[in-house]
Amino acid sequence: MTAFFATIRTSFRRQLTYRAANLSGLATNLMFAFFRASVLIALFNEKNIVNGLSIQGAITFAGITQALIGFLSFFSWYDVMHSINDGQIGADLLKPMNFFTYWLGVDLGRALGSFIIRSLPLFLIFMLFYKITLPDSFLQWLVFLLSIVLSELISFGWRFLVNLAAFWSPNALGIGRFAFGLSWIFSGFFMPLDLFPDWLANFSRLTPFGASVYLPIELFINSLTPGELLQTVFIQIFWVLFFILIDQLVLSRGVRKLVIQGG
Amino acid sequence: MRSVKLLLRLIRLQIRSQLQYPASFILEVISGVIIMGFYFVAFALTFSRFDNIGGWSLGEVAFVWGLAEFSFGTMDMIFSGFDYDAFGPMIRKGQFDQLLLRPVNITLQVFGSRFVLRRLGKMIEGLAIFIYSLTLIQVEWTAFKLLYLPVLVVSQVFFFGSLFVIGATTTFWTMERLEILNIFSYGGNEVMSYPMHIFPRPIRMLFTYVVPAILLSYYPAVYMLGKTDPLGAPAFVSFLAPVVAAAMFWLALRFWHFGIRNYQSSGS
Amino acid sequence: MKPIISVQDLSKTFKVYRNHKGYLGAFRNLVDRKFDLVHAVDGVSFEVQPGELVGYIGPNGAGKSTTIKMLTGLLVPTSGTMEVDGYLPWKQRKDCVRKIGAVFGQRTTLWWDLPLTDSFDLLKHIYDIPEDVFIANYNHFREILDLDPFLNTPVRSLSLGQRMRADLCAAFLHNPSLVFLDEPTIGLDVVAKQRIRDFIQFINQKKGATILLTTHDISDVQKLCERVLIIDHGKILFDGKLAALLADFGGRRFLNVEFAEYYPEVHLKDAEVVRVDGNQVVFSFERKTISASKLINRLSENYRISDLEVQNQPIEDTIRQIYEDQLLYNHPYDKRDPAP
Repeated sequence: MTAFFATIRTSFRRQLTYRAANLSGLATNLMFAFFRASVLIALFNEKNIVNGLSIQGAITFAGITQALIGFLSFFSWYDVMHSINDGQIGADLLKPMNFFTYWLGVDLGRALGSFIIRSLPLFLIFMLFYKITLPDSFLQWLVFLLSIVLSELISFGWRFLVNLAAFWSPNALGIGRFAFGLSWIFSGFFMPLDLFPDWLANFSRLTPFGASVYLPIELFINSLTPGELLQTVFIQIFWVLFFILIDQLVLSRGVRKLVIQGG
Repeated sequence: MRSVKLLLRLIRLQIRSQLQYPASFILEVISGVIIMGFYFVAFALTFSRFDNIGGWSLGEVAFVWGLAEFSFGTMDMIFSGFDYDAFGPMIRKGQFDQLLLRPVNITLQVFGSRFVLRRLGKMIEGLAIFIYSLTLIQVEWTAFKLLYLPVLVVSQVFFFGSLFVIGATTTFWTMERLEILNIFSYGGNEVMSYPMHIFPRPIRMLFTYVVPAILLSYYPAVYMLGKTDPLGAPAFVSFLAPVVAAAMFWLALRFWHFGIRNYQSSGS
Repeated sequence: MKPIISVQDLSKTFKVYRNHKGYLGAFRNLVDRKFDLVHAVDGVSFEVQPGELVGYIGPNGAGKSTTIKMLTGLLVPTSGTMEVDGYLPWKQRKDCVRKIGAVFGQRTTLWWDLPLTDSFDLLKHIYDIPEDVFIANYNHFREILDLDPFLNTPVRSLSLGQRMRADLCAAFLHNPSLVFLDEPTIGLDVVAKQRIRDFIQFINQKKGATILLTTHDISDVQKLCERVLIIDHGKILFDGKLAALLADFGGRRFLNVEFAEYYPEVHLKDAEVVRVDGNQVVFSFERKTISASKLINRLSENYRISDLEVQNQPIEDTIRQIYEDQLLYNHPYDKRDPAP
C-alpha cells in the first residue's frame, strides 16, 4: 500500500517539475476556454435559458472542460503502449507491484499535480473574466470533488484499456487514435449535452466517456437533489468498477500472450 | 530547380512508404475525417436550437469553417517538417546537422523531411464542410470571386505555414516547445472557423494586430458572402489576404534563416 | 602537394550562460545574463595531406567534435583560418560538402523511414553521381559490406552494426576526397569492428580517400592510423606517429608468473608486485629499467617457476594515463605554445 502512495507522490512531484509545459498548457487551454465561451455567448445572444441550460451554465461549461483537459489527460495517453512496444514492460512487470496499480498510481500523481498547477489556476483566472455558476451548497461541492476523482479513475481505466491493444496489434497507435477520438465524441466535451438533441445527449450520458467528462460538470452547474447526486455518483462508481475488472482481465490475457510469444 | 526536384522525389518516397499498408492508411484517414468532423457536427446539432450566430447562418459559418479546416490540413501536410513535434527532435537528436552536410538547400530539405499524407483527412473534412455550406447558402458567384477563392486558400495555407516556420525557428534557441505559438496556429484555426466579430475585443485585437487571422478569414468571407461588417472596416480589407500571407511568409523565412545562421555560430 | 585540410590557429569559444534558479530566476535570466567563456578549441593548427588516414583522439570534452563540426561547415569558428579541399566550409557550404563525406556513429546519415535502396538512390541524385560511377561503387560496397540481406529494410529497423555498414556505404558513394568518421565502431562487436576497419582501410588505400578518424577505441587507431593527433582542453597535445608515442609512454610491462610452489613472500628487484593469487603473482616493470629476460633470469635464480607470460601495457591504459596524468604536458612532444 505504501508503494502505491509512494508512486503517487513521485509522479506528483515529477508533474510539478514540468513548469514550462504546465504553464504553456494552461495558457493554451485558457485561450480555448475564452474561444468556446465566446461562441456560446454569441449563440445564446441575450437568451437566458435554452433547454434548461442557462447562459451562465454554458460559460461555466466552457471553463471547466478546458480546466479538466490536462487533469483527465483525455485527449491522448500512450505511455503503456510505449512501454509495451519498446520492451520496457518487461522491467515494469518485474516490479513488486501490480502493473495496473502501478500505472494507476503514476496517473493519479500526474492528475493531482496537473490539477493544482494547471486546472485550478485556469479556472480561477477564467472566473475573473466571466460570471459563472458555482455549486450552491457544501454538499454539492463535496460531491463534485468526489465526482472528479471518480472521473479521473474512469478516464484512466479507459485509457489503460486502449493502451493494452499494443499487446495484440503493431498498429496500436492508430487504433488508439481512433478509440480516443471516438470517446471525445460521446464525452460531452464539445458542446454542453443539454444543447444536443435529446437522443444524443442521453446516449452520451450512458457512456463511460460522458460519465467521466460531463457528469461532474452537470453536478457543478445544476442544483441536483441528493437523490440525483447519489445517482450520478453511482453511475460513475459503476464505470470505475467496470474498467477495473475489464482492465485486469485484458491485462492478464495480454501478459500471458507476451510471456508465451516473447517480446 | 534541382533542389525542388529532389524535394519532390523525397516527398514521393515518403508517400510510397506511408501507403505501404493501404487498408490501414484509409482507415486512419476515415477515422480522422469522422473525429475532426464531429466537432462541426456537434456545433451544427447545437445550432439547431438557435437561429444564427452573430447574424450568420449555419451555412455561412460552414463556409469559413470548411475553408479554415481545408487550408490548415493542407498546410499540416506540406509544412510537417516544421511542426514542432518533428523539428524539435530533429534539432535535439542532432539530425539537423545531417541537412547541413548535404549539398542541398536546407529549407527545402526540411520541407521534404516530413510529409504526412494522413492529413488528407482534415483536408477532406474541410472540403466536405465547405461543400455542405454551399448546399445551405446561395453565394453570388462572380468571375472574380471564383478566382479569389483558390487565392484565399493558398493564402491561408501560407499564413498557417508561416506560424509553423516561426515555431520551428524558436527551437534553435529553446529546447522547450513554445506553446504560446500554438495559440496562434491552432488557436488561429479555431477562431477562423467562426465569424470573427463574435469574439470579444481582446481576442479580436490579438487576431487582427498580432496575428492578422481576421484578414485571412473574416473579411474575405464578408466579401464572398455579401455580409455586412458590424466592425465597419473599409471594403478593400477583404482583398488583403494574399498580401498579408506573402508578407508573413517572407518574415518567417527571414527569421528562419537568421535562426540557421545563429545555429551555425553558437552550435547545438 | 597541397594539403587537403589546413588548419591554422583555429579557435572556437562558446558562451555558456549561467542559469538562475527558480521562478524569480527565470525572470532574472531575461535581464541579467551572466556567462562563462568555454574555449572548446583553442588555437589548433595542423595539416593533413591527401590520402592520409589520421586518428584524432582525446578525452571526452577535449574539443574533437567541435573541431570536426568546424571542418564540416556545421560551426563557424571564432578565430583562425582553415581550408578544406580548397573551400572555407561554413561559407562555401554546398560546394565543400559536395566533395566530402561524414559518418557519425551516434546517429545515421540516412532517412529513417525509407528502405536502404531509396536512401542510396536519393544520395545518387543529391550528389549528382554519374550513373556508371554510382553503380560501380554501389555494387562494390554492397558486396564488401554485405548489405544485400537488408537492402529493403528501413533504417529504423536495422541493428547498429547494419546501420553503420549502410552509413559507410552511403558516405563513399560519391567518391569524396575527404571523409570524417566519428566513432564508426562504437557499440559494435569484435567481428563487426574488424569488418568496418577493413572497409576503411580498403577505401583509403584503393580509392585514396583521405580519412580523419575520431574514436575512443584505441585499437581502431592502432590498426588503422600511422599518424595520430591528440587533443585535450582544446589544444593539440601530440601530432605524430603513434608508435613513437607508445615507445615513450607505453613502457609498462607485466610479468605473469605461476610458481611451482607457494612462496609466502616474493621479492624481485626492479619490479613491483601487482597482484597475488595463490601461486600466481603478477609483477609490473618498466621497459626502460630492465629487460624481460633479465627479470626472468633473476626470478628463476631464487624461485621455481612453473609457467610465465610477458604482457605489454594495453594501449588503452597508456592513452588513459596520458589523459589523466597529463603526461604530454611540458613534454618535448607537447605541441602547445609555451605559456607566456
